[in-house]
Amino acid sequence: MTEVKKEIKVSGKEKPKIGVYVCHCGINIAGVIDVVKLKDYALSLPDVVLAREYKFMCSDNGQSMIKQDIEAGLINRVIVAACSPRMHEPTFRLTCKEAGLNQFLFEQANIREHATWVNMYDPEGAYEIAKDHVKMAVAKARKLLPLEVQKVQVEPACLVIGAGIAGMNSALDLAQEGYKVYLVERTPTIGGHMAQLDKTFPTMDCSACIITPRMVDVAREKNIELLTYSEVVDVSGYVGNFEVTIKKKPHYVDQEKCTACGACAEKCPVTVGNEFDLGMATRKAIYIPFPQAVPGQYTIDMDKCIKCGICARLDVCEPEAIKYDDKPEFLKVKVGTIIVATGWDLYDPTELKQYGYGRYPNVITGLQMERLLSSFGPVLGKPVRPSDSKAPHSIAFLQCVGSRNFREGGNQYCSRVCCMYATKQARQYKEKHPDADVYIFYMDVRAFGKGYEEFYESASENFGINYIRGRIAEVSQGKNNNIIIRAEDTLLQEPLELEVEMFILSCGLEAKADADNISSLLSIQRSADGFFMEAHPKLRPVDTLTDGIFVAGVAQGPKDIPDTVAQAKGAASSASALMAKGEVEIEPYYSVVIDHLCSGCRSCQSLCPFGAIAFDEFRRVAVVNPAMCKGCGTCVSACPSGAMVQNHFANFQLNSIINVAIKESSVENGGK
Amino acid sequence: MSEEKKFRYGFFLGCVAPNRYPMIETSIRAVFDHLGAEILELEGASCCPAPGVFRAFHIPTWLVIAARNLTIAEELGVDVITGCNGCYGTLRDAWYELQHEPEMKKMVNEHLAKVGRKFKGSIEPKHVVQALYLDMGIDYLKGFIKHKFKDLKVAVHYGCHIVKPSDKRPWDGEYECPTFLDEIVEITGAKSIDYKDKFMCCGAGGAVRTAVKEVSADFSREKLTNIRDAGADIIIDCCPFCHLQLDLGQMEANNIYKDMIGEPFKIPVIYLTQLLGLSFGIDPNLLGLIKNHDLKNVSPFIPVEPFLAKVKEELT
Repeated sequence: MTEVKKEIKVSGKEKPKIGVYVCHCGINIAGVIDVVKLKDYALSLPDVVLAREYKFMCSDNGQSMIKQDIEAGLINRVIVAACSPRMHEPTFRLTCKEAGLNQFLFEQANIREHATWVNMYDPEGAYEIAKDHVKMAVAKARKLLPLEVQKVQVEPACLVIGAGIAGMNSALDLAQEGYKVYLVERTPTIGGHMAQLDKTFPTMDCSACIITPRMVDVAREKNIELLTYSEVVDVSGYVGNFEVTIKKKPHYVDQEKCTACGACAEKCPVTVGNEFDLGMATRKAIYIPFPQAVPGQYTIDMDKCIKCGICARLDVCEPEAIKYDDKPEFLKVKVGTIIVATGWDLYDPTELKQYGYGRYPNVITGLQMERLLSSFGPVLGKPVRPSDSKAPHSIAFLQCVGSRNFREGGNQYCSRVCCMYATKQARQYKEKHPDADVYIFYMDVRAFGKGYEEFYESASENFGINYIRGRIAEVSQGKNNNIIIRAEDTLLQEPLELEVEMFILSCGLEAKADADNISSLLSIQRSADGFFMEAHPKLRPVDTLTDGIFVAGVAQGPKDIPDTVAQAKGAASSASALMAKGEVEIEPYYSVVIDHLCSGCRSCQSLCPFGAIAFDEFRRVAVVNPAMCKGCGTCVSACPSGAMVQNHFANFQLNSIINVAIKESSVENGGK
Repeated sequence: MSEEKKFRYGFFLGCVAPNRYPMIETSIRAVFDHLGAEILELEGASCCPAPGVFRAFHIPTWLVIAARNLTIAEELGVDVITGCNGCYGTLRDAWYELQHEPEMKKMVNEHLAKVGRKFKGSIEPKHVVQALYLDMGIDYLKGFIKHKFKDLKVAVHYGCHIVKPSDKRPWDGEYECPTFLDEIVEITGAKSIDYKDKFMCCGAGGAVRTAVKEVSADFSREKLTNIRDAGADIIIDCCPFCHLQLDLGQMEANNIYKDMIGEPFKIPVIYLTQLLGLSFGIDPNLLGLIKNHDLKNVSPFIPVEPFLAKVKEELT
């Protein structure tokens, strides 16, 4: 590691000595414009004391050139004319810092993306634009001031929202590293959708056998504070220091006293559809969602309860756990990081009326099929069709229901799990009923994961599942509530009509219906498909654009269990990297209030999208919290008295750029 | 000075209704008048022109003629209504394309300039059903119901151009198995029954009726069989061409496919506004439901009297 030199004192008042370094970027820049000429031009600009050109400024050699010039005292401002600052600004800032120069005395002129790439067939025009960029960078560099990086402490605790397979894995990893984890789950049990599944593809191992021990691990882990039947209602603060308010919904059953004996549910007279079984089985108004639920204590569904008082009777609930007057509790916690693992909703196929869901009893969704196949499901793993509770002799699956649909109302993306779950369910049904006819209507079979192609091949070769390439146009109901399918077999190029006894819609995955709440609570973005947006699709797949907040699992986009777990572990790892450091650096681009100019009108306060501006009632002026300010500049433009100054982008700095750009433009009419 | 009415439309007649099923036109006029809507005449309107015939051969011709018809309503400053799916298809598709294809619009306006016209896109072409369902709304219509039919089973036939192409239609995603027409029918107390292949073509469209009568009649036979199997008392439609095919087509199917169908078909075919009008208490004469049977070879070919007899009790 390079030793950091003692910082050279730069007050901003001494005469600027600017060094300009023109990068060839291989042929990306030098192949289009004359870099030597550009270097000579730079030397003609005010306060530029030296200029150099080199093949790759970002290489070790290139960086050394800059360091030597700084260390020799030749320069006190650095400009690199090269690529986008998004690419290498951090690189060159570190170079300056290592040489003892304040890193904010560096400026980058982007002559690659802005000049040579976009004008590669117009070298003269590209050169003129590159000159303007260099000139503007010099104008700003002359006005640069040294800035100090802010450091804030990071609370070594993490909030994980959602306790499905993603949230549970993130929580366990962080807890095992020694961090405090608040795991918040809105339903009465952890486990999420994976707990509803029977088997997992392609290995056919039992989903419950994988997830239930993990659920128990979560409940036992001393560093995890499990908050089921709870929701996050408020989040304030910033990276390292989030203040979170969690609402613990009333169970109406004392969770400490309840022994989960189940006597109350036995006696409860109110029977309703069980959400866990998608309405195909019942539960009582006092209930646990499923037998292996964690925690195992009971909850009263107050919307359904008729308050008959039976469960509260001493001969029913001996520990006297029933608490009809239970109230919500609000818990405030402080965390350094947040992981969003809120999962998904199944696409509702009702609006695709041509497939008959909701109209014909024997049309079900893939998730319903999963419950029918489950050994602890409503029919104990012996699937029957809804109309007559008999095992169907023929079943058909339709793929891409609600996915890959570019018409109105559909989701355009591929949901990534349906090809494999339908194949798995088809195979499971064949295992139970070898004589049954099983069809899968598909657009393409996407068997991309490890072992998936082999699994698909085996389903069709060894299990005799009929794959038919073609969308189903419509279905109608025939005799005995059978489903008549009309489709085109696009490989044989002929229309077909097929009667089956049960029809399963392989519905895709969607962002949670209330994802907007989370996105506004946490100030995180969603992409066009509705899922939470990662900071970079390749390099920062678990980060959000809000520092300290990470995303895991299907909340970020459809994915299967292995990918979900991988991302959950990635999110945990990124969160722990932040917490392990103990403090984070915050770019000093925050706004500063010039007190004597501030009239106290509070315009800035109401406009700040990050809640970073407070009002000092005593002095009657606005006060910016540097850690919360993201440097967006909204307050600067809103301030009627010019009292807001944004570091590094102050008006006098921007004006100097604008002045040279407009008054002395070397390119007529703003470029060619 | 007369009060300006809330609903004002230019009425595009088309060809099949005025020439072969005038009761469709008269019932639309009676019902809209009853609903407090003002109907303006589109003086000088021509053929829409028919989508299956003109568009299939020469799109620019089709567009120019359609645009000319729309400019008549633009001059009056009212939206157009039509009771015909085919006219609706042409006027709505042309209106949509002219707003999304500047080159086409330029071409069309160059031609229209020769007759002193210009397409602006200032009014919207609507189907009668669209005006009833979206402009006025079910609740508004309900307020006019006088007689409720008790035991009337209706097979609703939508036709094709009214729902597709979906991106140029106003039904907000309701294009695969829509319900708007059934909803209007059911405010009269009638029951819209489900039947096999409800959204199947009547058999007339796409010039099939003109080109291959047998194929066209076979479509009708299949559709009518499904309707009869479901136990429908009457058929309700919203398109004169479908109306022709389902009415006259019964005679044709009875003739061509007599060995396949058993009993001859005789299901009364009623246009939506005829049913609505009866329920509103409008005189059946004004709705074109009373026919002088001395007239030969005049529509309707399947007598509607069994329908009138069935609802007689509710009407008195």
